[in-house]
This record gives sequence, C-alpha cells and structure tokens, in this order.
Amino acid sequence: MQNFDPNAKVKAVFLYNFTRYFEWPEKMKSGNFIIHIIGTNNSLSGELNRMATSKQVGNQKLEIKNSTSLDATIKPHIIFILSESSDMLKDISAKYKGKGALIVTEKGGLAKSGSAINFVAIDSKLKFEYSKTNAVKAGLKTSEELKSLAIAVD
Amino acid sequence: MLVIWHNQYAQNDLLFDAQKLCNEKNYEQAIPLLEKVIVHPETKGDPASWHIRSYAYLQTYKQSGPTNTAKISLLDTAISSALVSISLDSAKGYSDNNYAFIKNGAATYYKLGTILLQDSLNTGKSEIFYQKYKKYTSIINPSFDFKQKDIEYYNTMGSIFADQYMRNNFDQKHGDIAKMALLKVLELDSKNISANINLGILYYNQGATLMRMMDYDVDLSQLDVIQENAKKLFKQSLPFMIKVYELDPKAEKALESLQGIYSALLDEEKANEFKQKKEALNKK
Repeated sequence: MQNFDPNAKVKAVFLYNFTRYFEWPEKMKSGNFIIHIIGTNNSLSGELNRMATSKQVGNQKLEIKNSTSLDATIKPHIIFILSESSDMLKDISAKYKGKGALIVTEKGGLAKSGSAINFVAIDSKLKFEYSKTNAVKAGLKTSEELKSLAIAVD
Repeated sequence: MLVIWHNQYAQNDLLFDAQKLCNEKNYEQAIPLLEKVIVHPETKGDPASWHIRSYAYLQTYKQSGPTNTAKISLLDTAISSALVSISLDSAKGYSDNNYAFIKNGAATYYKLGTILLQDSLNTGKSEIFYQKYKKYTSIINPSFDFKQKDIEYYNTMGSIFADQYMRNNFDQKHGDIAKMALLKVLELDSKNISANINLGILYYNQGATLMRMMDYDVDLSQLDVIQENAKKLFKQSLPFMIKVYELDPKAEKALESLQGIYSALLDEEKANEFKQKKEALNKK
C-alpha cells in the first residue's frame, strides 16, 4: 500500500479551507500564518509542511509549528489540538480568548467545550462541528457560509 | 532435434534437397523448396513433406532469436504444418516428432506470453499468445486442466500491473489491467491469497490516490465528493483483505493492510485492533 495517510491530507485541506471562512484580527495579518499542532502526528505534520511549500494565506506564508505543550512564544492563527492532547483544551481556550486563534480539535463533544471547529467521523468521512460562539470568543470574524457546510453546535 | 523420415519420394528432388539442407542446418534455404514440395502433386499429400516443413520453420524461428515476436509467423507455420502432417499420417510414422514440435511451439507461446506481460503496450498480444499456448497444449493433451496455468498466468499479469500502477504514478490504465487479471484469478480460485492481497491493495491505492492528487485548496463541497469516492474504493478493498485474514490470520501483510484500510475509513477501533494483532504477531 502506498505510504500515504489519506486522513492527514483531508485535515490539511480542511485547515486550509478554514482560512477562507474566518477573518483574523488586523494585527495578525502580517508575518507568517502559523498553524500550531499540539500533540504528535507525523503524517499530519508532514502533510501540512508539504502544503506550506505551495500555499499561502493571502500574502502570508504558511508556517507549521509542532509541540506537545503550549509554547507562549508562538502566536498561532490556528491551534490544532490533537485527540491525545484534548485535555489541554480548557487551558488553551482560556489563554487564547480574544487573541485571534482558531482552535480546532478532533474529539467528540469538544465544540461544546471550547473549540470553534471539531473534526468528527460520520459514515466513514471526515466532517466538522462548528461553534460560532467559540469562534467569536476567540476574537475571529466569522462567515455565515461556513455554518451551512458544517454541523452547527450552537 | 533430428528429423528422420521415410524417404518414400526420393524421386522428388525438391524434397530430397530440402531434407539435405535441413540436415546441414540450412533451414532458411530449405524453406523455398518446401513451399514447392507442399503443392507438388507427388508430395503434397505426404506427411513427410509437412513434417519437414514444420521442422524447417521451427528451426528458422529458433535461429531468429529465442523470444522473437516479430518472426512469430514462422512458429505459426511450423505448428500448422505439423497439424497437417498429423492429419495425413495414418501410419503415425511422424506423430511423435509432430507432437513434439507442437509441444515446443506451445511452450514458446507460453514463454512469450509471460515475457510480453512486462510491457503494458503488449498485454493484448500476451493474452493472444497465452490462448495459443492453451490451444496447442489441448491438441497434445486434450484432457489437460488449465486451471492452475490460468491462475499462474493471470496472477502474474495482476502482480506485474499492480506494481506498474504504483511505479507509474498510479496510472489508471495499469490499475484496470491488474484488476481485470486478478478478478479472473478469483473467479477460478476465490481463496487465492496473492490475488486477494493484490486486489485489496489496488482498491486501497486507488482510493488513496484520489486523496493524494487532490489540491489543498479544493473547496469543501468538492472535498466531500472526493471523500465519498475514496470511501467507496476503501470499502471495496476491505473484503479482499478480510478474506486473506480469514485464510491466514497470521498474514502480516493482511494485518497491516487492514489497519490502514480501517484507518482510512476512520474506524480507529478496528484499525487499533489490527495494529495490536500485528504487534502481538511480531512479539512471538
């Protein structure tokens, strides 16, 4: 079988798409567009780094950061909390409240516990729950269009 | 192989000369003479004429190179001449050699058929040669059971094209040929492990390729369609790999593949189950 993780690719496509549906605060529209992965998923990191070589967000270059805990020196536009790190959601959402970081998770129920986007598997396909409330709390301007593509939780 | 025949028509100089040339291994020079011999009223009904013609063509073909497909008409003529000789040979004076020629021709067709499998442009020709092998083998041995040979041939075709599919950046044409061949194997032997594994991997790879080729900025509605199509292919791969697992629960390739397929289908529970089975196998 080919050495390729289809789910990592799908998540990368979703993350890139999300950059079209949110508007980040003015102060975050310069410098690199940072996606910070909390946890370990080598396939996903590899896929996002591949994406970063060919895509950018507006005029901002994509930059992928990876750590197993929060790093205060990183000012992320998207924080993707992997399943194994889900326990950190509460702290992360409190810390980044109003700072313009889109919090993405991948464990059942987390869109109701602080993340704006939560990946869920439905009928063998990856879909996402969307909490507009949490996105606004994070300091992002949201698009109504995204709601029609998502499983809205509020 | 030496050619021995009764020289009943020694008065016919052409046949005598052709025989002489063959004995001197000048087969190509013998052929024009033999073309006249087989239409000459005195010799056209003689099994010896057709027998020596068969021999001369067979040897000329061999001299042209062991796997020469451009000169394959020489082999065809050799075999058809042997068949005419057999039909005329009521005394069966030449039958052993005639059958040996046909057997030799059949084996050559089989060899050419498998060699041509390596070339994706010649799959059709390969199958034609393989069918000729079967046709001529049936003449030598009418009760020959081709099932195992068919399995071997189509499994080889399937494996080669599944490999070509991977090597040629997942080119659909190669994948389709592999699929056709492997499904033929399973029609004959549904428990064939190699065909089940290769088909399972092939369907999985086709699904994965859909994902891999997708651009990062494909819109979300299109992403859903691609996921749906890939899911169908992942699901198609599943029964083949499950079959392998049922036939051989310790087949590492099946355990690893099932882990990958279930993971692609976002069934992490099942993916972990097979991951653990594979790890347990490796601990033993």
